Amino acid sequence: MKGLRAFSLRRRKDDLREEIESHLCMAIADRVAQGESAEAARQAAIREFGNPPLVQEVTRVTWGWLWLERFGQDLRYALRQMRRSPGFAASVIGTLALGIGAATAMFTVVDHMLLRPLLYKDANRLVAISEADRTGKGANDVPWQDIQEWRSRNHSFTAIAFTGSMNGRNYIETKNSAAEVYGVRASANLFDVLGVQPALGRGFFSDSSGADEAKNAQTIILSDAAWRGTFQTDPNILGKPIRINDTSYTVVGVMPRGFSYPKDIPQLSQVWIAAQIGNADQGRTYDALHFEAIGRLRSGVTLAAARAEMRALQQSIAPEYTDPSIRKDHSTVNLARYTGTLVGSGTRRALLALLAASGVLWLIAIVNVTSLLLARGTARQREIAMRGALGASRARVVQQMMVEGLLLSTIAAALGIGVAVAGMRLAEIARPRSLNLDLSSHLNFPILAALCGLTILSALCSAAWPALLAVCAPIEPALRQGGLHSGAGRRQHRLRGILVAAEIAMSLTLLMVCGLLLRTIYNLRQVPLGFRSDHIIVANLSIPAYRFAGQNLVPALYQPLLERAQHMHGVQSAGLMSEVPLGQTFHITLSLYLNGRTVSAMLKPVTPGIQRIFGFPMLAGRFFNAQDSPTSEAVVVVNPAFAREYAPDKHDPRSILGQTMWRLSKNRPMRIIGILDNERQTSIAQPSQPEVDVCLCQITPDSGIYQPSTIAMDLALRTDRPMNQVIPELRAILKQASPELENASITTMNQIVQDSYGSQRLAAHLLECFGGAALLLCVAGLYGLLAYVVTQRTREIGVRIALGAQRSTLLWMVLRQAGALLLVGVLAGSALALASGRLLRGFLFGVSAHDGWTLAAAAAVLLASGLLAAYLPAHRAAHVNPLEALRSE
Amino acid sequence: MGTKQSYQNRIELLQGTLDMLILQTLQWGPQHGYGIIQALRAHSGDVLQVETGSLYPALHRLERQGWVRSEWKQTESNQRARYYRITVAGKKRLASDLSRWARIVDAIGLVIQGRPEEEQA
Repeated sequence: MKGLRAFSLRRRKDDLREEIESHLCMAIADRVAQGESAEAARQAAIREFGNPPLVQEVTRVTWGWLWLERFGQDLRYALRQMRRSPGFAASVIGTLALGIGAATAMFTVVDHMLLRPLLYKDANRLVAISEADRTGKGANDVPWQDIQEWRSRNHSFTAIAFTGSMNGRNYIETKNSAAEVYGVRASANLFDVLGVQPALGRGFFSDSSGADEAKNAQTIILSDAAWRGTFQTDPNILGKPIRINDTSYTVVGVMPRGFSYPKDIPQLSQVWIAAQIGNADQGRTYDALHFEAIGRLRSGVTLAAARAEMRALQQSIAPEYTDPSIRKDHSTVNLARYTGTLVGSGTRRALLALLAASGVLWLIAIVNVTSLLLARGTARQREIAMRGALGASRARVVQQMMVEGLLLSTIAAALGIGVAVAGMRLAEIARPRSLNLDLSSHLNFPILAALCGLTILSALCSAAWPALLAVCAPIEPALRQGGLHSGAGRRQHRLRGILVAAEIAMSLTLLMVCGLLLRTIYNLRQVPLGFRSDHIIVANLSIPAYRFAGQNLVPALYQPLLERAQHMHGVQSAGLMSEVPLGQTFHITLSLYLNGRTVSAMLKPVTPGIQRIFGFPMLAGRFFNAQDSPTSEAVVVVNPAFAREYAPDKHDPRSILGQTMWRLSKNRPMRIIGILDNERQTSIAQPSQPEVDVCLCQITPDSGIYQPSTIAMDLALRTDRPMNQVIPELRAILKQASPELENASITTMNQIVQDSYGSQRLAAHLLECFGGAALLLCVAGLYGLLAYVVTQRTREIGVRIALGAQRSTLLWMVLRQAGALLLVGVLAGSALALASGRLLRGFLFGVSAHDGWTLAAAAAVLLASGLLAAYLPAHRAAHVNPLEALRSE
Repeated sequence: MGTKQSYQNRIELLQGTLDMLILQTLQWGPQHGYGIIQALRAHSGDVLQVETGSLYPALHRLERQGWVRSEWKQTESNQRARYYRITVAGKKRLASDLSRWARIVDAIGLVIQGRPEEEQA
């Protein structure tokens, strides 16, 4: 059909041409018949006829096709233009593609992290409720009794639900192995409060009282990921019994895809059971189950009003805590919108900063292209005037320039998508594992479309603007002078100057931010870790404690495992530690008594070999050794942070040695025998917290810290063998210890350290790219402007040289112009950079957001590269050959 | 640029009138573009000089609307030319154009000869 149309269009065009030719022939024939000479007749006939191509064109307008034809013509013309100046086309396309790609990738990530629609009904009315000490510090879980009081006495919430993790590690038993699952105890009304119903089956039975968990005993609801992963989307799953840690439950429902509460990790394999509240759980003691609470605000109730009511309520509840040390942590409540708690504030700020950076990069790209297109449009004023003189209408010329802009920006947009996809891949590779970021999501198409649309629009405008100016200007002077000295030219010149200065200012901001982050990374790397990280392999084990029910895990699991690991080929030493430094896997914080005081410290059960593996230096006393056994005196090692905080003699931390802490288990006080040097525990940027290390072999089931040590354990190996050789052997040993351990995550200590730089590292890498790209664009913009100016002034410069101007004066003239632009840009950019530094404050380590040196360095880099970019055109100006320059026009 | 604008202005100015004149010319028999111009000039006593840039768009528009039909034929001097022939619809159109034209001429005549004092009275 299309081919037919094109064919018939061509035939009609031939027809029309022939018709007009025949017209001319007849006119000539008539004139010859009247006695004119053939040549004179031809000329007269043509003069009388007018402009044949134009007549053809206005005739074709009546066919109604012409716009398409013109578009095709313009497109061909634009392609020809691109081929003629590939450098210009490449810089425009590259610049825009970079801008679109970077911005789209960042928008996609941020959109996914911060703006993802939640499955919950009216998610902004969901409020997380936690308890805190009198100053409002902390986010403590809530005992059941408090929730019951809130439920019966508050007027702010339509309902309050609660959740808590099931004890220890949980495994769904399948035919031949066991799959780890995140188990949650929930109130029966949880799904009603969240406003999400199961995709399959039903939720828990609940009546209005909300205290009907007992009715749902032995029933279980699966997450979509658990249903797909462990049960292969078994359509008959409802009513089937499944076993979790040796307890049998009946599946009654499967939640919809993407639903994950309270952790909000959609790919998490998860189950919910109804929390069974025993007698012990009805008190306000350490032994009672504690929960995270979430309420649904009544419509019309503000968060502030709810907070005020709940705080007043808690004030009357707090006296019911009989133990003052417990009461302290439950004196008041904190309320926070649930949607706001999903992304950590650090990550949120980082993402917003990166988003802003990519937006700025996009702006720089647009500004750069605008100024390039403006320059080109101005340079082509003569051509435009010529075409006007030959009969092209204004609209036609403007349309043609716009098609050029359209072609360039469309190609750029297509490439931009490629850049965005590549950018997402890169971010996926570079992202630290600790950052819970799912980048596998597809590009965000509305955002891509919006950016491409805006980019194309801006390219169209900047392409059309000089054409509009040119066609409005009178044709004659433009033809005579090339439009150089017209008012429009000067105005555009100033506009371009402003654009380049803006570009410089924005680039400086990006460079400054990039510099601050690089210094942050540098500072972080300078922090002494307090341990060696080379040649260490770490396996993070989730302990299937249910398999060893009734046994002491230490002799039943840990010691045989350690024994086998130590005898692996090429392993110098092996050790266990509840959490390796910077591991961010499983913290244990305990309160103990020391000299009648409550001391709070991070607790790490370890084996003696761990010191050799990590090379922890001892500041005083000794580390554990083979003589420390379940029957010998209970001993602990502390760190300087602990010693400084709790030593009896404030001026001598060593006085902590020999002190006894109350207590490991009944009648077993623990004596402090050593001080280990501080090591970074959770993050490099955070100073060490008080820490107490306990010898794993001395922990017995009757000890208060036995339970936490049966949840997670890191196995660390020091070996010279390459990791990929060790891993299969290690997995075999783990499987032998317990089948569930086979799939433990195994990594190197170096990797863990790298990951701990976390979002800063990712942000720094991205900003390096953004800053570098901005610098490049900025230099290209400045070079483009000056090169253009010099070309335009070649004749003037030639005259000056002919009249005796010094070449150095000319060099200086161009450089001065560049200097002025750079100076204005740098001044404006400094203000911008200092203002935007505030965004970053929480993100920096060891460097102020207003660091003068970083700003100076960024400015110096920008000035140096700017002047370098200016030198080439300046040099060319100074070496203009006056004869050639004068002859050229 | 200026040239083309003048074409367009003239097309607008003469739109209805030119169509009518072309149809009227074709009443006397099929004719080609050149012939139409010559005929109009001759019949108007050399006053109406129709531009090609107005004529050909008008002819093609008339053909599109079905008021004329065209075919390639040989002239007496053996020149291949595109002849336009008025259709039945074209004749109807011409009739209504002519009557409208007469009304306009009458109305304009009335205005020009009219006595303003009568209207005021």
